[in-house]
Amino acid sequence: MSALETMDRRTFLKTSAAAGAAAAAGTALVAPEAGTAPKAAAVPETKIVKNVCHQCPARCGIDVYVTDGRVHNIYGSLENPISNGKLCPKGPLGAYVLYDPDRIKGPMRRTNPEKGRNVDPKWERISWGEALGIVAARLNALREKGEPHRFAIVHGRGWGASDAGLLGSFGKMYGTPNAALGHSSICADASKKAKAAMDGNYNYNAYDYRDTNYILNFGASFLEAFRPFNNNLQTWGYIRTKSPKTRVTMVDVRVTTTGAAADHLLLVKPGTDGALALAIAYEILRKGWWDRKFVGDFVDGINRFRRAELVDPKTFREKWTYGLVEWWNEVLKDATPEWASGITGIPAKDIETVAREFGTTRPAMAIFERGPTAHTNGTYNGMAIHALNALVGSMYAVGGLMNQMGVPYGKLPVSSDDFLDDAAKEAAKKKTPRIDRVKTKELPLAANNIQGIADSIVEGKPYPLDTIMFYLTNPIFSAPNARKWEEALKKVFVIETSPFPSETGQFADLLLPDHTYLERWQDAPIYPFQGWPMTTLRVPAVKPVHDTRQFGDTLIEIGKRIKGPMGEYYKKLGNVENVIKALAKGFEKNPGDNGVDGLAKWIEKGCWYRKPYPYRQVAGEFFEWDGVDYWKPMSEADVKKHLLKTETGRFELKSHYLEHYADFVAEKTGLPKDKVGFPQYIPPRYTGGGDLHLVATKTPMHGEGRTANIPVAISIYQPVAGGRNELFLEIHPETARKRGIRNGDRVKISNELGAIYARAHVFPAQRPDTVVLPYGFGHFAHGRWASSRKSGNVNEMLPNVSEPIANLAAVHAMTVKVEKA
Amino acid sequence: MVIDLERCTGCQACTTACQLENTRLPGEQWQDVLFYNEGEYPSGKLTWLPRPCMHCENPSCVAVCPTGATYKTEDGVVLVNWDRCIGCKYCMIACPYGVRFYAEEKQKTQPDVRKVWPSEEGKIWNPPWAMPAHKQNVKQGIGVQPKNVVSKCTFCYHKVSQAPKGTPDLDPNDPKTRDYTPACVVTCAPGARHFGDLDNPKSEVRKLIAEKRGVRLNDYTGNRPQVYYLAGEAAAIPETRSVRRKEG
Repeated sequence: MSALETMDRRTFLKTSAAAGAAAAAGTALVAPEAGTAPKAAAVPETKIVKNVCHQCPARCGIDVYVTDGRVHNIYGSLENPISNGKLCPKGPLGAYVLYDPDRIKGPMRRTNPEKGRNVDPKWERISWGEALGIVAARLNALREKGEPHRFAIVHGRGWGASDAGLLGSFGKMYGTPNAALGHSSICADASKKAKAAMDGNYNYNAYDYRDTNYILNFGASFLEAFRPFNNNLQTWGYIRTKSPKTRVTMVDVRVTTTGAAADHLLLVKPGTDGALALAIAYEILRKGWWDRKFVGDFVDGINRFRRAELVDPKTFREKWTYGLVEWWNEVLKDATPEWASGITGIPAKDIETVAREFGTTRPAMAIFERGPTAHTNGTYNGMAIHALNALVGSMYAVGGLMNQMGVPYGKLPVSSDDFLDDAAKEAAKKKTPRIDRVKTKELPLAANNIQGIADSIVEGKPYPLDTIMFYLTNPIFSAPNARKWEEALKKVFVIETSPFPSETGQFADLLLPDHTYLERWQDAPIYPFQGWPMTTLRVPAVKPVHDTRQFGDTLIEIGKRIKGPMGEYYKKLGNVENVIKALAKGFEKNPGDNGVDGLAKWIEKGCWYRKPYPYRQVAGEFFEWDGVDYWKPMSEADVKKHLLKTETGRFELKSHYLEHYADFVAEKTGLPKDKVGFPQYIPPRYTGGGDLHLVATKTPMHGEGRTANIPVAISIYQPVAGGRNELFLEIHPETARKRGIRNGDRVKISNELGAIYARAHVFPAQRPDTVVLPYGFGHFAHGRWASSRKSGNVNEMLPNVSEPIANLAAVHAMTVKVEKA
Repeated sequence: MVIDLERCTGCQACTTACQLENTRLPGEQWQDVLFYNEGEYPSGKLTWLPRPCMHCENPSCVAVCPTGATYKTEDGVVLVNWDRCIGCKYCMIACPYGVRFYAEEKQKTQPDVRKVWPSEEGKIWNPPWAMPAHKQNVKQGIGVQPKNVVSKCTFCYHKVSQAPKGTPDLDPNDPKTRDYTPACVVTCAPGARHFGDLDNPKSEVRKLIAEKRGVRLNDYTGNRPQVYYLAGEAAAIPETRSVRRKEG
């Protein structure tokens, strides 16, 4: 049972001093039972517990209302700078998640050795001791055979040091390179890669949306899914009613609420965003709208950027960019609006209009994520877009882009380096490749390759895997060519940790169910937001409803059962609560703006943060916050160290990073080696062999994979959501007519990989060459409501093709045929 | 209530917040958002309209109710007394806004949640997250309804009726008034919703209606809604645009 019992706020105030002392001493906290109200009172006491929503990665602080031990309400926390008391439509669904009647109620062992979609696993309920013993026996046996690398843990969006953050040291002590195989290669790795190539930061950006006057948005669903979604909605309400009103141009391949609410919606041909961005860059340079203080200028002030004309690099003096003139000469000089119009389908006049607005409004920013980058040309699309931020001088400026800072956590009481035995050291020496083949010659630039793991398992290459454990990811549903995973998971011992039934669970040998987020302790530093550091905390609102354990504790308990020093490490670490206590010690020296200086206050407030972001670019000069204002000038070396972390310390329009891999990039893209460093357009390659583009979308109701089994969520009809038990395919009337399809007809959507069925929803506003349907349908083992929305998982027909540089799955490159069913 | 359509993003947080606060069934969306499309690629248009009960000054549902179950409170809110409601659905036909619900028919979302979480007290269902019993009020149509009655938005009457008398506005960002504010207003992330006293000339809602030319939906019916829309430049519904044209 948890030693850090949940406390209500009143009790908390009484005990906080003692709690702080106890935490400091490293002893377990003994908190009073909740509900200290006098029994005589007719009205039961409602307590509010701080937690962090798990419906998306935004880290919205939530107030969980608990009465008589039941959660009955969830609102945003007023004191959390992301949620600010507000929620998106998924936020209130936490109560339904907690009380989902299909939850896994305790550890289970498969007794039917046969695996398949429609094969009953014949689950047998076992105790935690037995379940952990089964895992430990397998893992100890692998180690004894000298094959620890045959154990892998695949994880989705982990939260912080208390869950996914534990995986690295587990792998090091156990001796496997496969303990932390991430899912980012089916998320948005090409976006991060584009930024790494140009500004030297392999991360998403933080944005100062509230102070910008123009947002040029390439495919980021700002009002549907782009994180932090809830805060984006708040921002929208603000920027669209402030003076001057922030203008928004949306570039997308489909009609969305974001596009509909924007000032302009440019519906481009899928995968051609890069060409549009280059034409905008061309216009900015040709018309002389670039930010001279950030970018630099011609020595004599005369603009020589003229159509199809080469510029002598000696005539231009660059300031914070690198390679501008070469980029113009090699790429931009012919990237006219007319050229881009032929590729994107957007009239040249509209491109000129948007370029003028973006180029002449300050501050302005160009944003994107996986929309334009989940294509075979994704990294270059991303670079072309990101280059615009340099041209208008928005890097680190007010109303511009920043890097996200980390959190000054305390150190864990034990270090894994002190608990490495010979087996661990030997495994490290051997340099066995990861099962996903990342960092091999095949994938030198990739961070992850979850989409390749099924192939590795099926083919037994680079070696046969023995045991695989999943945390917060369900690639058998969510990865490309999903059917391949069914084959793969038949060949290995599978451990699934989801609190809910899942497709992975259907093929699992052992279920070790996690707590839901309202039942667990967890730290969760934020995704990039506004640059300044922030972290949040989950506090259990109620005792676990079922016989579950949070993943971090499951991992620690497995670790304790590994023979040798590794077991000792985990015995000393104890449990997740000790991890959180250790992290919170870091706040003693670095108290947050909200007074959080340790564990007790962290529990009370639910978050720690410290404003402001300490760096700022003003008119081409960089300054550091000195406690009063941005007054401390930064040297070029400071800028390179903290901000523009490229080889040149500048924003590179000719990327050294990519040039270092010139041979690889040239081979994969067909570009000449001396051209690989420039943001440029290469035509996308479409997959699947169909004649219509298919875009599978997220809606505001789509939350981290769980909403499919929430009856309230699936009863809501949003555009492109389908809703209820029906999957709708949005199709242009002319496209439908040509295929003999009428509104409401059942249609077959197919390509060379597979077929799914939906109902046609004739929608005249969509592109005639693109059909749209929502993601999240077609579950076959995800609970009673999810399974009622049968056909329709697009991943069953998504070819496993990835962008070659970042290795991001090209999910938007898919084409299909549509016919009347 | 005032709803600013320039701020509304159509996300439906209002819908789900209402459903959890008031224990509504799937599809029984007291607060819904309606989506429309007009025109064709590349100039097609998608619009939306959030739609709670209008709590009319002159509600047709009250006029047609044969048992007096639907009534108007002294402070102007339209409620249903479930003890009196016989589920005849006259009110649903009479309401020009389609904001009354009868949840007895086959549930559109299957399996039927009423069978998953049945009530032992003769109510329509009893999920674990149900509103605490002491907040429910059958005479005001608050909480989980008995079987065979019509339900509707109460403006979160269990909250707003607790606010100190004379409060001009219920501001969800002010800890003093937050707990009295309707769920949809509390949760609305872009801040599109405002709740206050229309009889108080000093209230923020009155100011917003005056400054931004608030309009009422289907005003020709004579129901005189107490929900005002600020249509702004991006009016979601043609009729508010037409009102603006006449004015402009």
